[in-house]
This record gives sequence, C-alpha cells and structure tokens, in this order.
Amino acid sequence: MGITALKNYIGSKWVASQSSEILDVHNPATGEVLAQVPLSTVEEVNKAVAAAKEAFLEWRETPPLVRARYMFRLKELMEKHFEDLACTCTREHGKILDEARGEVRRAIENVEVAAGIPSMMMGYNAEDIAVGIDEECVLQPVGVFCCVAPFNFPAMVPFWFMPYAVACGNTYIVKPSEVCPISQNQFFEILDEVDFPPGVVNLVNGAKGVVDALLTHADLAGVSFVGSTPVGKYIYSTAAANGKRAQCQAGAKNCLVVMPDAVLDRTVAALLTSAFGNSGQRCLSGALVLAVGEVYEPLKAQLVEEASRLKVGNGLDEIVQMGPVVSQKALDRILGYIEKGLEEGAELILDGRGVQVKDYPNGYFIGPTIFDKVRPEMVIAREEIFGPVLGIIPVADFEEALSIIKDIPYGNAVSLFTSSGKWAREFKYRVRCGNIGINIGIAAPIATFPFAGMKDSFFGDLHGQGRDAIQFFTDRKVVITRWF
Amino acid sequence: MELGTFGAILGFAMDLEERAAGFYEEVARAGLEGAFGELARGSGSRLRRLERARREMVAEMILESITGLDGDAYRVDLNPEADEAGLLRQAQALEETAARFYRDAAAKMPIQEVVRLFQRLARENEQRKAMFGQAC
Repeated sequence: MGITALKNYIGSKWVASQSSEILDVHNPATGEVLAQVPLSTVEEVNKAVAAAKEAFLEWRETPPLVRARYMFRLKELMEKHFEDLACTCTREHGKILDEARGEVRRAIENVEVAAGIPSMMMGYNAEDIAVGIDEECVLQPVGVFCCVAPFNFPAMVPFWFMPYAVACGNTYIVKPSEVCPISQNQFFEILDEVDFPPGVVNLVNGAKGVVDALLTHADLAGVSFVGSTPVGKYIYSTAAANGKRAQCQAGAKNCLVVMPDAVLDRTVAALLTSAFGNSGQRCLSGALVLAVGEVYEPLKAQLVEEASRLKVGNGLDEIVQMGPVVSQKALDRILGYIEKGLEEGAELILDGRGVQVKDYPNGYFIGPTIFDKVRPEMVIAREEIFGPVLGIIPVADFEEALSIIKDIPYGNAVSLFTSSGKWAREFKYRVRCGNIGINIGIAAPIATFPFAGMKDSFFGDLHGQGRDAIQFFTDRKVVITRWF
Repeated sequence: MELGTFGAILGFAMDLEERAAGFYEEVARAGLEGAFGELARGSGSRLRRLERARREMVAEMILESITGLDGDAYRVDLNPEADEAGLLRQAQALEETAARFYRDAAAKMPIQEVVRLFQRLARENEQRKAMFGQAC
C-alpha cells in the first residue's frame, strides 16, 4: 500500500499543497511511515481564509435550526465511522484503543452540545428600561476562526471549538498537528459527506508558517490553541497584537494529593490511569503524587507494584494498557528528563527505560516510570515531562501539599483523594487551578462544561466547550428601541 | 488471556455473543428452529447492545486498568452437530458461563452504566439457562 499524501480541504475541495516542505507521519508503535503531510504555503492559507470569508456571508444568515441539522448529520456520520476514527487515532498517535474511543466520544459529545445552538445562542431583552423604551441583546457570529491543534488528542481537540464556531454561524479553518494530522483528515472526509456549503469548514496542513500566516491575516477573527506554554504565549500575544480573539490552553504540571484517609485500592487505580494513560501525554496527566503523612509508604509500594504490571504495547491490541509515546523526539526528551531526575538525586523506583515490546522493535516505547523522594525545586517537579513519568513527593500535611501546588507555575488540573468532605471542600475552594478532581485522577470536563485552566496553563478568558465556546464565537449586540 | 482494559472486556463479551449467536443459528437451521432461533436473534440484539456500550459508555476520566479477569476461564467448546440432548447441555453450559462472565466482569468494571448492562445480561443468561433446564 502506498503512503498517503495528505491534502488540504479548501472551499469543499481536496487540494494538493504546492509546498516543497513535506514531513513523514509515523506510526509510533511500529515506526512505519503512514502518510506525508505538507507544510502548506502562505498562498494556501490565504485561499482558505478567502473561502471561509466568502462562505460566512450566507452561512451567518442560515437559521440556527438549519445549522443545528448539519450538526445532527455530522454526529450520525461520526457514530457510523466511530471504530475507524478510533483506529486511525491509535495508529497515528499510539494511544490505546480505549483512549482513542474516549477521545472520539468526546468529539461527538461536543457536536451533540453544539446541536443545541438554537437555544444556546438566544439573546435576552428587557422592556421599559425607561418608559416606552426597550432594550435587547442579540448574539451574532463574528467571522472566520481557526484552531491550531496539538498532537496528543488529534481527533478531539478541534471539536472543542469547531462545532460551536460553525453552529454559531462562523466559518472555520483547522490546522492539525503536523505530527498527527491523519485523524483530522479523516474527519474532514466526514465533514465533506455532511455537505457543508463550500468554505464553511476548511483544513490546512502545516506548522509554524501556517500559524503565522493565519494569526497575521486581516480577515481572521480569532484563534483557539492547545499545546505547550511557550507556544501558547506566542500565539496569544501575536493574536492580540493583530487584534484577534484568542483562547490558548497550554502546559501543565498536575499534582495528585493523597490523604491518609483515601481509599487506597481505588486511589491507586485512579493514579495509574492519570499518570500513565495516554502514555502521560495529556495536559490533565498526573505528574506528581503528594503523599500526605502515613499514606506515603503503602501508597508508594502499591503504585510501583501495579504500575510495573501495566502491559505496554501496540495500542491496537485490546489487551494493551499503555501505548508508545508519539515520536522518537518525544522519547528522547522524556529519557533526558529521567537522566535529569537521577542527576538531581531523585530515587528511580520504577524504571521504564529500555522496555522491550515483542514484535515491535522500532516503536517509541517506554514503560511506566516512577521517581521517589522528588523535591519541589527539582526540574522534574517543575517542568512538564509529557510522558509516563510520575514523581512522588512525601509531604507532612495538607497545608504543605497546598503550598507546593501554589508554587507550581501551572494551573491546569489537580486532584485530591480523600474520604473527608471537609478536606475536599477546603481543597476545591483554595487551589488555583482550572480542573479539579475529587477522587478522580483525570478531571476532564464533559462537553457542557468549559475545559478550564489557570496561571501558565491558559491564556485568554473564555475556554473551549459549552457556554464559554458560545461566548467566544459570538459578538453581543445591544439594541435600544423607542417608537414615536 | 488477561482482560485488563474496558475494550478487552467488551471485545470478549462481543465475541462471546457472536459465538452464541452462530451456535444457536446453526442449531436452528439443523431443525430445532423454535427456542434456538429465538436465542440466536436474542444474542444478535445483545451483541448490538454491547457494541453500543463500547462506543457510547467509554469515559476517559475513569478508564482505569482492570486486574483479575482471565478470558480463558470463560471458554466453552461448542459442537452444533451433537444430538439434541447434547445441544441442550451445551446451551446450558454456554448460558451458565456467560452469566458467570458478566457477573465477574461487572464486579471489576469502573463504569457503572456498563456494570448495569452486564448485570442485565447475566440475568437474561440465567433465565435462558433455566429455560433449558426445564426442557432437559
């Protein structure tokens, strides 16, 4: 079978890029090349924006009820192709099938929520703001938006934004990750089948050059981004400098606090999926366990025992519990952090380096890795590793745990494991963090809630998903009326 | 075979239902249409429920790994060419094994919607087994 050359989707047509810059897309479990992705040119970005701008004129006048019907058709087709979509996601990213199914499910959920646009986009009004004068506020679409998507959830992340933007009457451009672009390509096959008017949804493959061309384009209204903190800051500031809306979800260093009264078996299961699910390549992954008081020793022992039993392999095999990391580059970076942890004096109590996976000698595999006696000032406690590496910090009490969380520059997710409602209430009230889990290791908001984030984990004010998305993708217009 | 993931368990259950449907269909075609035909259709419907569960009930936030469930403990040898008494015995064994699998898997599953589905399927298996008991 030949290697697929990925195309752009502009104005409802699949168009081959003219770019001479082309990257290989690898299957991280096998190392084989799955496809080639072009780094599209500025001219191609301009064509996509022009198509989206032209489509906006009619699309914004399309009644919300009709726009909702496109969402229903999209949902039906996504359900129909569910397993194919999940398999593609696993093949290009490496995550296990269950994780890929969960990802596609969340993408569908967002389409389902966006299908409620006829009521979600309603404005409000008041009679007699002065005698005989009424006032109303209407929500209107803004124009052309784009999404710059990450590699770690190649199927789902654009769906935190695109369904809402389009349902609100905007038009859209997706720039998928150049590392994992195939899932979005497959989604656009489905979007093509939905038969949106030309230019309503567009796909432009590429990397930084495409992003810069979008951010500086006069006809782009706003950008949604998910990725690292340095890139998030760059996109936020560049978008702002060019007068555009921006919502940028960025990096994380998430703490999992375990109190002495936690239900240990259930807690360990949750910690394992938090730290090692998606091979640790989630912005919601648990990175540091803060073990409070006497729970430290039994928790450590059970964590190591159960983590060492996780089956690592090709995510397409249903019995596998952890897949490879996304690329050799990612693997090298993670190995570098492990070396750094050893240099800093942390104790490596579970070493996932050099894990052998039968039949897959060329995969980018690393097993679950656990450091003990991590100190908050260590690099491995402060920087995002984005791999299956968990650090344990023993702490004396709840206050020390909160103090460590406070000093971490990120504010994406934290979790507390306890049987005490008092500690749970205190925790969720005091921590400055966007997504909080109480006895949940992956605090992933469903589509009706915003995917939150604070501090260096988010730049902007309105988040993806739910009502925040509707606000982000609309203008509010106030009309005050008096009749003579 | 260790069934350590949500997908592995659902996949095993779907395989079990497919084998059951195939067995009952073959027996029904061989001249025992009545109850076996009904069971084949029932297994088809159960398969669709399981497929829907795998697609719709997967919840990323609680995709916790599962231990202590071995698929090999729920294998049943089926021979649709046995005589009528043999077919009834096989059907009973199949239903009993399936019920045991669904009960055991329900106890391990972190997703409550799937737990309920498995418990319902186990109850159905137990009713079907009882029906064969009366026929024997």
